[in-house]
Amino acid sequence: MDVSGILEEHKNKFKPIQVDRLIPTEFDLGLLACFDMNMLDDNRLRAGQQSRDRYLKELSREGAQQMINELFGLPTTVDEDSVYATLPKTTTVLPREKPIPKEKPPTRWEKFAKIKGIQKRKSTGKVFDEDQGEWRRKYGYKGVNNDDQKPWLIEVPGKADQYQDQYQVRRDEKKARIEKNTRRNQRNVEENVAVEKGMKPHEMRKRELQKALVLSKQSTASLGKFDTKLKGEPKTKGLKRKFDPLVGSADSEKSKNMDILNRVAKGESKATVINVRKAQRAVNNAKRAAASKSK
Amino acid sequence: NEIHPFEDETGIEFFARKNDSSLFAVGMHSKKRPHNLILGRTFNYQILDMIEMGVERCTTMQEHKSQACSVGMKPLMVFNGEAFNRDENLVRLKSILLDLFRGEVADKVSLKGLEYIITVTAGPPGPNGETGLVFFRTYTTSLKKSGLRQPRVELEEMGPSLDLRIRRVRLPTEDMWKLAVQVPKELKVVKVKNISRDGLGDKYGRVHLGKQEINKIQTRKVRALKKNLDGGKSGKRQKMDVDTE
Repeated sequence: MDVSGILEEHKNKFKPIQVDRLIPTEFDLGLLACFDMNMLDDNRLRAGQQSRDRYLKELSREGAQQMINELFGLPTTVDEDSVYATLPKTTTVLPREKPIPKEKPPTRWEKFAKIKGIQKRKSTGKVFDEDQGEWRRKYGYKGVNNDDQKPWLIEVPGKADQYQDQYQVRRDEKKARIEKNTRRNQRNVEENVAVEKGMKPHEMRKRELQKALVLSKQSTASLGKFDTKLKGEPKTKGLKRKFDPLVGSADSEKSKNMDILNRVAKGESKATVINVRKAQRAVNNAKRAAASKSK
Repeated sequence: NEIHPFEDETGIEFFARKNDSSLFAVGMHSKKRPHNLILGRTFNYQILDMIEMGVERCTTMQEHKSQACSVGMKPLMVFNGEAFNRDENLVRLKSILLDLFRGEVADKVSLKGLEYIITVTAGPPGPNGETGLVFFRTYTTSLKKSGLRQPRVELEEMGPSLDLRIRRVRLPTEDMWKLAVQVPKELKVVKVKNISRDGLGDKYGRVHLGKQEINKIQTRKVRALKKNLDGGKSGKRQKMDVDTE
């Protein structure tokens, strides 16, 4: 039985799918792209519009055929009546839209958990409630955590005052818990800021308090001279400017004015008078800025 | 609102920030630069790179009167010509076009959903070695039976086709490009050293012992090789294990 003839016929019914290329085409299937480095027929490209478009169509068809051949060779999964080909990872380097996010410094709990080796466990978010026989949320709308606020009856515990409102007690406790949580979050944020600036959080808080202290002294009429001092509070210097008395000896006034004039007269040749305090502050600021930039 | 990206980048950067978009296209027409098209990308709301092209010939989707493909499909992209690897400007164009037409990032693609293909071909370079025209064509694919697993592809010209001439290119600055291309630690491929697989799929590993001190290896002791055994000065009776009968 000569089957080869029938096979030939069958084969010739269909158009070929093979594409031959001198230099093999490079594929980046992750991007559904292919890069054909072969020589193009420049004559045909320079020719008139129609013939050029025909050439381009031929080229494109062959490129598409190669891609389809490759794509149909990939491992596939079937999902809802359509066949999906799993694409490999892209090889071309494409730039990101935004820079990589900076790593957040760990919170107090995270540091503790790391030392103790506590792993994070993923919870499903819903808890089964025996009373209602339903899955309810842990917190939030109709959450399980609010159940203690709602009972129609609360027993007065043994030691409590009879006339105390137990509902209010529970509400206050909840509020205290929330406040504690927000305070802890705030503390974490402040610690992160301190770490970013390169200071220990304790140091930073101390500095802030000292600043606030100085400011509060300045805002009193007597510049904090008569305020009750805290234990270990340093003596603040230089809050009030000292002015010479209006009425004094004429000699001292004369000598002072002569000094000023002399300095002004000599002014150009001598180095300019530096305000040491301001200069030091400027240098410190620059140093701090440089340090925080390099972090 | 006139925006000239090559002269003044603030316009584009403003829009990129407002719309939180990183790809942009600007079209304009002037006597000096007729039918100008600028395609570009931003990184962190600053212009990363852009390429300005003049559209020398263009046909629209309506003119082609063929069946357009559904919206949202990912195109196949074909780049013809070695110039796309050699010519700096074309390398940049290739990168921008890939980015622009990439669509949603997907790790699976439906084999029925490969509906259209974009071809970019590099035309012959000019007499002074300048970059030639770039032919941008779009076709819809139809997959026909071929008797084998892979179908035969037939194309029909569909969408816009443009003949582009590259005018100006703004390449990204070194450090911006470096930042943009950084891969976060988590995604970097971790190479495992010393482990290899042979053809049969067996896993081989290399275990490195330290330097061996031959004198101190614990071996089975052979009495005959003992040092004291020649010249029996040590005439002591050797203790032997004797089975008592």
